[in-house]
Amino acid sequence: MTDEPLLRVEDLTTTFETDAGRLVAVDGIDFSVEAGETVCLVGESGSGKTVATESITRLIKEPPGHIEGTVRFEGRDLADCAEPELREIRGADVAHVFQNPQDALNHCYTVGWQIAEAIRIHEDVGRSEARARAIELLGRVGIATPGARIDDYPHQFSGGEKQRVMIAMALSTNPDLLVADEPTTALDVTVQAQILRLLDELKTEYGMGVLFITHDLGVVSEIADRIVVLYAGKVMERGSAADVFERPSHPYTRQLLGCLPGIGPPSAGGIPGTLPDPTDPPEGCRFAPRCEHAVEACFEGGQPEAVERSPGHRVSCIHYHDGYDESVLGEPPTRLGLADPKAEEDTRTGGDADDG
Amino acid sequence: MGLARYVVLRVVWAAVVSLVIVTATFVLMAAAPNPAIQEAATQAALEGGDPQQAVERERELRGLDEPLHVRYLDFLTSIYTLEWGWSDHRSQPVTEALVEGLYYTAQYSIPWTVLTVLIGPLVGVYSAANMYSWRDHAATAFAFFGYAIPNFFFGIVLLLLFGVWLDWIPVVYRTDVAVFSLENARQLALPVFVLVTGSIGAVMRVSRNESAEFRDATFMKTAKAKGVSPFRAYAYHVMRPTLVPLSTTLVSQLLAIFLGSSLLVEVVFGIPGLGRLTFEALVAQDTNLVLGATFVFTFVAVIGNLLEDIAFSVLDPRISYDDR
Ligand code: SF4
Repeated sequence: MTDEPLLRVEDLTTTFETDAGRLVAVDGIDFSVEAGETVCLVGESGSGKTVATESITRLIKEPPGHIEGTVRFEGRDLADCAEPELREIRGADVAHVFQNPQDALNHCYTVGWQIAEAIRIHEDVGRSEARARAIELLGRVGIATPGARIDDYPHQFSGGEKQRVMIAMALSTNPDLLVADEPTTALDVTVQAQILRLLDELKTEYGMGVLFITHDLGVVSEIADRIVVLYAGKVMERGSAADVFERPSHPYTRQLLGCLPGIGPPSAGGIPGTLPDPTDPPEGCRFAPRCEHAVEACFEGGQPEAVERSPGHRVSCIHYHDGYDESVLGEPPTRLGLADPKAEEDTRTGGDADDG
Repeated sequence: MGLARYVVLRVVWAAVVSLVIVTATFVLMAAAPNPAIQEAATQAALEGGDPQQAVERERELRGLDEPLHVRYLDFLTSIYTLEWGWSDHRSQPVTEALVEGLYYTAQYSIPWTVLTVLIGPLVGVYSAANMYSWRDHAATAFAFFGYAIPNFFFGIVLLLLFGVWLDWIPVVYRTDVAVFSLENARQLALPVFVLVTGSIGAVMRVSRNESAEFRDATFMKTAKAKGVSPFRAYAYHVMRPTLVPLSTTLVSQLLAIFLGSSLLVEVVFGIPGLGRLTFEALVAQDTNLVLGATFVFTFVAVIGNLLEDIAFSVLDPRISYDDR
């Protein structure tokens, strides 16, 4: 695509001042989201996914947080925007759905009030019109008898319904970018599938770009158009869903995929080792302490320069550099039962009972 | 709806509590020897009459010869019809004396309550929003000061400072000034200030700590992500949930100060309110008046607790009325 993407993040670095020192949560990452596509940020918890997305519209509290880099959204650099300007973008153009719908809604207000609040902050509409739209949205996200539920409080909704309410609230002002931060992690498996399907439908209906955060590659395989694999605040690999699932190139991506049921030999209990200390990141490749293919050069300098394996498919691993032999990494894990990321969806989500 | 039913039940319960208190009072009074009868007997003996006869006459006069249940019903009727007897020491009906006292007590209690309710939560939430700033520390210091210093002592110090040395405010309380006048405002400023200082500390602390919790809640992030301004976020999303636990603190704090400290403050500032009236009735052994004042304080406490419970359930939508 030649023209500017909906969102382009360049060299984004977010740090926090803590008692233990300066914590680098996100360290110079790049990614972009086009209108109408779903980009998945993938990584273990603590890899900086949430901080990265919350840095886009500066939801991060500053201080202790500090955000650097370029965030181009619809032709504007959000890094240069003053707070009042950002406030107009938040909700109206970039909407968020958070991980835990239990805590993301205020327990003291009805869901109708909370949806109407989002509408009335950005648009000059009366109470009754905002209410009518809130009812319509509740219906759209699959709440039965929305007119009767509009005055209910969050505690009167199930977990899945609350997440639907959150989605309705996010959609209320017709945003161009929806940031969904692990929106299904706190939910039952059947409800998860329903919410994923809903988000996918709405993406098409509203023509939104979706930035979807998850650690669950099963979810990624169902919804992603493009994938960004994060590890300890750095991008390890990114590319189209087909690139990453069919030709996973980074040792970390391969290990993540190896943990996915149905692919490769089951490596018991995920990837051995833990994320490096973000206040004191290791020299060289961030993944080196846990990488089975690490060589001496991996522990020196910075994160290896990303190598473009095919257009748009970039990998940050030294073995793809000139003078190294990528064959030492072995064969990527084979994909069993995940023939086509999108085709899987119907069998997985079809015929689920309604949540509630 | 559940809430209405709960409120009705709670009101009925408050009525039962007040009935229990009145009954307990009656039992105690009936069990204790009546000093008036002893006195009549002594009087008769001194005057050469028959003490036994005098006792009987006196008992008859006071209705003590009736069976217990009749006396109990009479007592109840008079209590609930506000016929609380004659105050010997004030030479006026007890209810009239109480209304007079209440009139002066209300003049400082209403401003003091309103100020506490308005300022306490605002300062507390502001403190939470600016936690560990110098303003927060100043507010905390003030809260602990008000908490720690005895009200009557603080009152005396202020009276000495502003009334005696600086001569800014009158030392002697005047009952002949109009309620809504500058003079009245001046003479009530110190007692109101003392009581606000005493009651606001706990209110500030609770609202600060509770709202600190809500300030960091995920729904605040949701609000920010929706484009809500920080002011609106605090005014609606933090203040509202804070009011739930705060309502309890507010009422109990106001009640504690009202029942505990207003007497001392009235004595210090010479206000002829309910507190001083009770105190003088006790000294003068004016049983009817002591009883009446006790009932007023008791009913204030019962109604305060009632309001506290109702406020709490109205404010917290998550409360299930069936479990209570
Ligand atoms: S650069 Fe070295 S440590 Fe990093 S992933 Fe490649 S082989 Fe492993």
